[in-house]
Amino acid sequence: MEDLFANEIVRAENLKKTFTLSRKQQRLEKTALNRKIAVNGLSFSANRGEIYGLLGPNGAGKTTTLRMLSTLIKPDEGDAYIMGHSVRKEPQKVRDCVGFLTGELKLETFFTPDYLFDFFGAMHGVEKEVLAERKRELFARFGIDAFAQVKVGDLSTGMKQKVSLVVSIVHDPDVVIFDEPTNGLDVLTAKVVTDFLLELRRMGKSILLSTHIFSLVEKLCDRVGIIIDGKMAEEGPLAAVCGTTSLEEKFFELYHGLKGEIV
Amino acid sequence: MKLVALMKKEFHRFFHDPRLIVTILLPGIVIFLLYTVLGNIIHTEESRELKVYLSGNSAVVGLLEQQINESGDKVEWLPLENEEEARAAVKEGEATAILTLTENFDSFGEGARAGIVYDSGSENGSYFYGLVSSVLISVGMRFPIDVQTVNDSADIGREILTALLPFLVVTFVFSACMSVTLESVAGEKERGTLATILATSVKRSHIALGKIIPLSCISAIGAASSFLGVVLSLPKLMGLDATVLVGYSFVSYLLLFLLILSFVPLIVSAIGVVSTLSRSVKEASAYTSVLMILVMLVSIVSLVVTQMGEWVIAVPVLNAVTAMGRILGGELPVWQSLLSVGANLLYTVVLVWAIAKMLSSEKVMFGK
Ligand SMILES: Nc1ncnc2c1ncn2[C@@H]1O[C@H](COP(=O)(O)OP(=O)(O)OP(=O)(O)O)[C@@H](O)[C@H]1O
Ligand SMILES: [Mg+2]
Repeated sequence: MEDLFANEIVRAENLKKTFTLSRKQQRLEKTALNRKIAVNGLSFSANRGEIYGLLGPNGAGKTTTLRMLSTLIKPDEGDAYIMGHSVRKEPQKVRDCVGFLTGELKLETFFTPDYLFDFFGAMHGVEKEVLAERKRELFARFGIDAFAQVKVGDLSTGMKQKVSLVVSIVHDPDVVIFDEPTNGLDVLTAKVVTDFLLELRRMGKSILLSTHIFSLVEKLCDRVGIIIDGKMAEEGPLAAVCGTTSLEEKFFELYHGLKGEIV
Repeated sequence: MKLVALMKKEFHRFFHDPRLIVTILLPGIVIFLLYTVLGNIIHTEESRELKVYLSGNSAVVGLLEQQINESGDKVEWLPLENEEEARAAVKEGEATAILTLTENFDSFGEGARAGIVYDSGSENGSYFYGLVSSVLISVGMRFPIDVQTVNDSADIGREILTALLPFLVVTFVFSACMSVTLESVAGEKERGTLATILATSVKRSHIALGKIIPLSCISAIGAASSFLGVVLSLPKLMGLDATVLVGYSFVSYLLLFLLILSFVPLIVSAIGVVSTLSRSVKEASAYTSVLMILVMLVSIVSLVVTQMGEWVIAVPVLNAVTAMGRILGGELPVWQSLLSVGANLLYTVVLVWAIAKMLSSEKVMFGK
């Protein structure tokens, strides 16, 4: 077992998730079916110390996949292993070795970065001394120390984002999962995030991110998985997936192959 | 440890935000001021016209008359000829009181006594009695006054308290719980900060408890403030003697306190359930208003229907309200109160468990 997961830090096996749609959702999705297969038998694996990018258009099932991996929702079928822990059977263990961050997970604006770091440290059961040491190091590394006592609500968007990032790794997880890390951010703040991710990789973390931005994958990722309609259309090291074309061309090639020439 | 951190966070949030503290304490202060002002307007506008049967004479009578005239009231002294008739007049409300002073009263010597008969349910009667005692004390009288009341003491006062207080208490406790819980539970869910905590390995039951315990404590402060506001201003509003409040024993107060205390976490967790199920604060407040109307209806029912079977103990809200009513009515329903407190705690545990279950439900937390 240990050997198997030594390098393969995340492994998804045939993940499937179906949502029941309400009437209102059916109208929004323009469908007569009351069920929506968001993720349809997805398998892939990500390696230690690498950045893995899940690339896909809106509604492809990226968020659903990452939520299953971070145990916020349960897969209907299949399973995924993080550092060898099953998301189905050992969700607590998975939560302790994963840092999860999405735009929807917010920090309470009333508190200071200092307070939130300690609070989430306690939520993950980190020892006090370890926590203090880690706070000093991370705050200094990402330039938060000067703002440690300023309420999150009063911080600039860039600094707020940094605080969210730092708080999400308060328990020193081996795996960091980011859903659309640069979504809705201006170029400066987006750079803060990409620099942070590269720094994390330097620190030896494994990163799993989702995005619909080709350039982000090309700039950051070691491996890429292209998701279309809840299925893995192509997966592998970035260079192998692209071959001689650009990632964008490769994507449309796959997309038209699956959906016909609509776009 | 995780539970402690969760609870600390909730307290920290509250006690470091002056705005929230004011929101919690303000209702009590406003109620007190409002009721007191109202009471003063109602009860001091017209001057009193007292009619007192008097037997015996003394310098004290002059002092009394002087005091009464100074406060803009009038007093008519009637000679006490037929005691039976005079008593009847006091009872009917035609006269204020009967004051009897022995012949040698001013000497304060052996056998000097003062007696008063008044209707404790009448405002003028209580007022006159208060005046007599203070004047007698001011002239240095050291012997007791013979006090007789023609009605059972504090009866009317008690009736009003019995009828109104439980309803007011329930309403104020509810609104205190509502402002705090909606903001903390539905607010955190809507803003996505609850999901951040769900992504950590902390137990869902700890998250639920970490909300309900501190929120109950904070709501209890708000409820206490409103409650004190009502209790302290009610005598003024009703024009009653404040002694109405002293008339209850320590045990009655203890039971009242326990009942209110058990009621707070119950309401907090009920609003907590509604808040967890709702998608936004707005949605949660809409459902909570419905809940509030239900709770108020139930407490009104207990005012109207006086005789209820043992089963009330099992009905939340109703159990506490009827027990409170009986205590204020002068009874000591120890078992009913304790069982009601127990039932409320049991319901609270069930509701907290339900919240924990909902927190683990992806439909509730992450459904669209
Ligand atoms: N809780 C839910 N209830 C019903 N349908 C859902 C739910 N969550 C997601 N879906 C549907 O499942 C599909 C996949 O959604 P998902 O959010 O995983 O896509 P995505 O790749 O993250 O897209 P985006 O780029 O828009 O974030 C969509 O059609 C979405 O409407
Ligand atoms: Mg998404």
